[in-house]
Amino acid sequence: MPKPKFRLAMTAAAAAALMTGAGWAQDKPARLDLGVFTFLSGPSAAYGLPGKQGAELMIERINAQGGIGGVPVSATYVDEAQGAEGVIAEYRRLAEGGRAQAMIAALSSGNCLALSPLADQLKMPTIGWNCDTHQLFLKDQPDYFYRPNGNTIAEFMAYTLYFLQQHPEVKRVAIINPDYAFGHDAAEIVKATLKAVRPEVEIVAELYPKLGASTYQTEISRLSAARPDVVFSNLWGGDLENFVRQAGPRGLFRQSAVVLALGETVMQRVDLPEGTIVGVLGDGWWMSPDARTIGEAEPFAAAYREKYGSDPVFPTIKMANSLIVLKAAYEKAISDNDGAWPDREQVVAALEGLSVQTLTGTTTFRDDNDGVVDQVIGTVGRAEGVDRPVMTGMVRYDGEALLAPVGQDPIAWIGTLTPDFLADLPRPGSYN
Amino acid sequence: MFQTIVPLFVDALANAALIFFVAFGLTLVFSVLRILNVAHGSFYSIGAYVSASIGLWIVSAGLNPWLTFPALLVSAALVAALFGPLIERTLVQWTYGRGEAVQILMTFGLFLILEDLQRLVFGVSSYYEDTPVALLGSIEIGGIIYLNYQLLLIALAVVALVAMRVFIGHTRMGRLLAVVVADREISEALGIDTRRMFTIAFTLGIFLAALGGALATPTAGVAPGLGADTMVLAFAVAAIGGLGQVEGAALAAVIVAAARVLAIYLFPALDAVAPYLVMLIVLLVRPYGLFGKPAIRRI
Repeated sequence: MPKPKFRLAMTAAAAAALMTGAGWAQDKPARLDLGVFTFLSGPSAAYGLPGKQGAELMIERINAQGGIGGVPVSATYVDEAQGAEGVIAEYRRLAEGGRAQAMIAALSSGNCLALSPLADQLKMPTIGWNCDTHQLFLKDQPDYFYRPNGNTIAEFMAYTLYFLQQHPEVKRVAIINPDYAFGHDAAEIVKATLKAVRPEVEIVAELYPKLGASTYQTEISRLSAARPDVVFSNLWGGDLENFVRQAGPRGLFRQSAVVLALGETVMQRVDLPEGTIVGVLGDGWWMSPDARTIGEAEPFAAAYREKYGSDPVFPTIKMANSLIVLKAAYEKAISDNDGAWPDREQVVAALEGLSVQTLTGTTTFRDDNDGVVDQVIGTVGRAEGVDRPVMTGMVRYDGEALLAPVGQDPIAWIGTLTPDFLADLPRPGSYN
Repeated sequence: MFQTIVPLFVDALANAALIFFVAFGLTLVFSVLRILNVAHGSFYSIGAYVSASIGLWIVSAGLNPWLTFPALLVSAALVAALFGPLIERTLVQWTYGRGEAVQILMTFGLFLILEDLQRLVFGVSSYYEDTPVALLGSIEIGGIIYLNYQLLLIALAVVALVAMRVFIGHTRMGRLLAVVVADREISEALGIDTRRMFTIAFTLGIFLAALGGALATPTAGVAPGLGADTMVLAFAVAAIGGLGQVEGAALAAVIVAAARVLAIYLFPALDAVAPYLVMLIVLLVRPYGLFGKPAIRRI
């Protein structure tokens, strides 16, 4: 017979176990509600809708596998086309009304900058699914806002390095980017990289048409007149489609090598000339060798094709990868919480330093909440057995190597690079 | 030198041609009805949507692609016929004799309704229909490839200006409109049906706006928000030329386009504000615009 003290301890332990169990059963929500922010209307919807569809499909697949920790996931979609004020109001409404336990936000860098402090204020775990601007964590490091898909420094350094490798004779570069932070940041990064590794290259034109412009005819004339060896652009969505459709008949793609940083998103809709340099702002090319090795991207793409009638584009993959990251964070938090449903603090604690295998590679959070991903870039070309244009001559740059150390000014860091940096990189065509 | 000037010149004229149609329509409506139609830009975008839709239908139905050219004109005529008399006889007529604030508020309300109507009918995705551009091909001028369609636009703008002059100066209807513009009360005293003239002028204004939108479609994408952008630019052109001045609108369109093109070539940062800087300068020097005259206020 147990001693009275031991019996008391056993009774207390059993009661505690029962209470924990009861607590777990009570706290576990009927479903995990997410707020998902993207552009659903206007010219930017050409980029935003594939993102939304990526979320819909990935949520369907997560739920088909039993949800997250046994809890089904549902989403409320918010249209970012309403402008920053509306987006902030919607974020608040979802968070304060208890209609979302976590957010996947946002597409626009401007909205990301606005929502990041709000996430901390409302203690709302937020995954910045398309928050590429390097300004995001430059001054403040929020606790509740994480970015799993890398930032503009690695992305636009990668494009610059790729076109320098692909066209070593380049002397004249022209830039045409949208007139807001994303466009100006990209131009600054391209110019800083050129100055560091190929200082003799001249910028012969720098244009910033307004976001949502319907015509680029004068800009195309200006670019043609500047006679650049390379035209770099990070136009996106309907703007990019417009630019390509207008620049094609006017011979810009024949006159210069053209880099379209977001070109992969329009490859299925417009006739991008072969040789155009395109990429996926990260590693989200679902046909990449790594994606094939992991083996999840192809079934996802097949399901996407069946549901939406086209192949996924990289915003789709970025969104899907962001949901995989959120799922991994919840699962880690549940595990750290001895199987109990975690609160928001525990979810963000789980995101800290998290490393997750996604559909197309691995993302690892640094101390500044920035997720490190590799950069995959290639040129538009044809592949045997594929009836549509694909990325060929690809390279996969190590994401870590293209990011400034945590806490260091990234533009100043780029300035410390030398031409040897370019020489040491893997070559175009090395990743096939 | 030639290689620098010629592209500037061609780009300025091609830009001016597109702005001209819509500004011309705006100034015509103002000169006859004395109404600043804030909803004017919406008819530009509706013209663009209708033209793109008809063009896409022609191509998808496998019809002769050259039919996309008359489709541009037919689209504008359809928009004008559908909206012109309806809006003038109902909403616009109600504002005659009322203050300018009422007129502007009414047309602004109409603009908001038409913007939502477009989203409802045409959706939120962009439309592209560039068959006319593909059919006409391109030409190299000053070392730069231009679309022959852009040159056609310049020619069409000149034809429209001349045709409008002939219409006003040499046709009965045009002369009646000119009399109404000169003095509405005397026209009524002379037995001219001014209400009918108002409907005709308003419909013609809408036709010109819709034609501008239709003609822009082959070289531009059509998406929500196009109407607002166009409206602001058209106001700048009309203000520079002098409200109610047809030749003024033509010259102002060239000035505004040249300012924007020069900005893109030489000071890209000023691209968006260049037309409005020009407007500011012109209005500071000539408050009634280049061709405008102070109006006599009768008590």
